[in-house]
Amino acid sequence: MDGAVNAAAWAFDALLVLTLLWLAWRVLMGPDLFKSIVFFIAFGLVMALAWVRLRAPDVALAEAAIGAGLTGALFLAALSRLAAGERIANAKRPVENSDTGKSTRPHRGVRMVFIAMSALFFGGLAAALLSLPAEAPGLTIQVAENLSTSGVSNPVTAVLLNFRGYDTLLEMGVLFLAVVAAWSLTPAPKEPVSPPGIVLASFVRVLSPMLLLAAGYLLWAGTHAPGGAFQAGSVLAAAAVLLLLSGKDMKANWPEWPLRVVLGLGLGVFIAIGLVMMLIGHRFLEYPLDYAGDLILLIEVAATLSIGVTLAALFLGGRPQRDERK
Amino acid sequence: MTAFYLGLASFLLLNLAAGMWRILRGPSEADRMLAAQLFGTTAVAILLLLAEAMGQPALRDVSLVFALLAAVTVVAFVRRAWRPATEEHSNDA
Repeated sequence: MDGAVNAAAWAFDALLVLTLLWLAWRVLMGPDLFKSIVFFIAFGLVMALAWVRLRAPDVALAEAAIGAGLTGALFLAALSRLAAGERIANAKRPVENSDTGKSTRPHRGVRMVFIAMSALFFGGLAAALLSLPAEAPGLTIQVAENLSTSGVSNPVTAVLLNFRGYDTLLEMGVLFLAVVAAWSLTPAPKEPVSPPGIVLASFVRVLSPMLLLAAGYLLWAGTHAPGGAFQAGSVLAAAAVLLLLSGKDMKANWPEWPLRVVLGLGLGVFIAIGLVMMLIGHRFLEYPLDYAGDLILLIEVAATLSIGVTLAALFLGGRPQRDERK
Repeated sequence: MTAFYLGLASFLLLNLAAGMWRILRGPSEADRMLAAQLFGTTAVAILLLLAEAMGQPALRDVSLVFALLAAVTVVAFVRRAWRPATEEHSNDA
């Protein structure tokens, strides 16, 4: 029986790896952008399955929400902003034996150098990977020993928000900076918004409360099971993207200043709690044992809201436009 | 039972590989997108099987997220990227 389980697991994993490699090849090599996007969505799905097999359900959740869901929608929206003519020209153009095709490809010698450098890099990475011990516990033991002092029972959340709180704080900063940069560069392009048909309208009405519910559930589950602020935030962002796509206007429905407050909320609350801890005699981001669980949940709630709005704002592709209300 | 679940999951994964042919061939963009949606449904089934086979109930949450977010992708496709063959957009910048 055990042998059968091993054989089945081996077959599944081998299939998974082959599918992943083939999909990645297709994403990169196809001349048709739309096809590449569809392959990318499929790649995200299979990648999440691979994370599951590697026993990393937290990463699988993030991959499912961001890789397969939001990024696909983002790419599709970006594609629609490319000029329609350019898109067709790209799809129709034969890669070889054509002057226009040749002009976009680098010279043969340059390509050889790139191939050699990539091969060298790949070889280095492979050598480094092979030199690692096969069964390295890493810091698993230390995390397990200190889990009771973290305030949560999911080791991933304990690491992200307590033991390595700095990393997560800086990640929130990166997200915040991304929105600041996107808003500084350009106003959101105006999309031709037609009112949603009856199917889409009722679909959105059913689906968006479910997305909100799932986001709340993932946030709550994060303290003791896979889940947490980033996964919940992405699901929240998916709800916002759904509303944006169905013709709801971020600007008209949400005036500017609450939007900005929520964008900065995650980073702000994180820093504020860290500073308050310093004031009452702890170190920055060191939580007292009795309140650690509550503080982590508070940070995660703020972070979820911020991540959700941040990702939705990035989907919009620029700052919401002023004085466009008619 | 675990071997049975894993075998079934492998079979579904094979199905998924067969569906890639539809993405490759098309012919229309809607065909390709629907094939990707079918992938999403298959992945949900695979995850539910793996949740049993690997004894990780948390994987059901992953499948829940898959099921919910697949809808967002298809709405993005219909609202932004899809150009029905009969309709010509000359100035959609």
